[in-house]
Amino acid sequence: MSENLNPLMAFSNALADAASKAGDATVLVSARRRMPASGVHYAPGLVLTANHTIEREEGIPVLFGSGAQTTASLVGRDPASDLAVLRLEQAAGPLIGRSAQDGRVGQLVLSLGRPSEGGIEASLGVISSVGGPVRMHGGGLLERFLRTDTIPYPGFSGGPLVDAEGLVLGINTSGLTPGSSLTIPASLAWSVAETLAQHGKVRRGFLGVRSQPVELPASARQALGREQASGLLLVGVDEGSPAAQGGLMLGDVLVGLAGQTVEDPDALLGMLSGSLVGASTAVEILRGGQPLTLSVVVGERK
Amino acid sequence: MNTQMFNLTQEMAQTIAAFQPSLVVVQGKRDSAGAGMVWQQDGLILTNNHVLNGRAPRVILADGRSFAAQIVRRDEDIDLALLRIETKTNTTATAAHPAAGQAAVRTGELVFALGHPWGERNFVTAGIVSGQGEFKTRSGRKIAYIRTDARLAPGNSGGPLLNAAGQVVGINTMILGGDQGLAIQAQVAEEFVQQVLGVPRASDSGMRAGEKSATASLRESI
Repeated sequence: MSENLNPLMAFSNALADAASKAGDATVLVSARRRMPASGVHYAPGLVLTANHTIEREEGIPVLFGSGAQTTASLVGRDPASDLAVLRLEQAAGPLIGRSAQDGRVGQLVLSLGRPSEGGIEASLGVISSVGGPVRMHGGGLLERFLRTDTIPYPGFSGGPLVDAEGLVLGINTSGLTPGSSLTIPASLAWSVAETLAQHGKVRRGFLGVRSQPVELPASARQALGREQASGLLLVGVDEGSPAAQGGLMLGDVLVGLAGQTVEDPDALLGMLSGSLVGASTAVEILRGGQPLTLSVVVGERK
Repeated sequence: MNTQMFNLTQEMAQTIAAFQPSLVVVQGKRDSAGAGMVWQQDGLILTNNHVLNGRAPRVILADGRSFAAQIVRRDEDIDLALLRIETKTNTTATAAHPAAGQAAVRTGELVFALGHPWGERNFVTAGIVSGQGEFKTRSGRKIAYIRTDARLAPGNSGGPLLNAAGQVVGINTMILGGDQGLAIQAQVAEEFVQQVLGVPRASDSGMRAGEKSATASLRESI
């Protein structure tokens, strides 16, 4: 690069470099009838992509920017985060680099996709908001997501959102929010990917209760010995469920799980991650105004 | 860091300001106007063919002066047109000239679209090169294009897509799917102009090679 570039030209070059660098690890994934989608080569031989674009499980054509073509098979999928992991038959290209930091509102970003053989495609924008947790269709909980004003061109699902250095900040998908696109942050996406690569699916814990948040009176807070504003009143305990087997009853107020306080249903859902499945877990409740800790073996949400 | 950011936006404003004297309005239709740019200081104006339709075209320069324009050549196939106005200008657009073996543009690089979207004069939108490719014209010619995420609207047609150096990399021509701008690569326009001005067409057989064919083609077009 020549030394006498003005800051604008230098910046423009840097953006093109970022698109090119991250673009080399952004692949075309052809696993649906309509146009192909995109994916990211994130670990040797493994591609992270958008679950909703994967309509078949074997012999999925994958194309790298170098022109290298291979096929892949599905390792696992997680509808709640709309992520899927594919295994390449041949490791055929560079890996994408991951940003050490989480995306911040206002940060300049590029959305990349490779929906055709015509080269990498890109759109520039900023991170507009950082949201979550939000409950998705089917009961899953998306802990965190990013929104950007980049244009989600057709076939961009499964492609990366990268920073100005071409380091990935998240995976774009339009499969969770019809008519718009959001980005699964890299930290979440990588942890889902790791679970998928190991277990083929993301397990989610299940208690078998219905609840509503209630304010805790001063006496209850005193009994608990902490300033907790609310808990979850159990308004239903399914027969034979993990909760019932563990002794939870209608009218109990759930205030803690596995040593963490629980103040609202989303928090509970967030805590019921796959790692708790099958584990004997401490459930802290208020019964008759008195704190009580029961042991519940968390089930798996089917 | 703040100084860098300030320098960056300053440079951006300067780059756009430097081009603005070369941006023109082309009134070629009854109901709407397009954009164009001064291609040579002797009054040669480049625009899209499709902004010309149904009326004698007029060109309004950036300083507000309005001229009746002669049509030098219209090429429906590649959607470019060359006009001439009887004045000299101080400025002209400069097309980007990639070094041998290098691409004219890189996907991801910054671009600025100048034009008059929805009749809004001298409007600037910014984005990047989103993609590149070739399309086949009706006659089967392959034309290199640039896709951009810079917002375009009717009235941008015929206007420039500039790179960070303020050079023309494309002629804004089409909008795809509402959010994707398409510009014909500047090289296509340069070849078109060279062909019109420098090389006689088959039908201009009476002319010597190298002789300017502008008036000849003007007669043909009208």
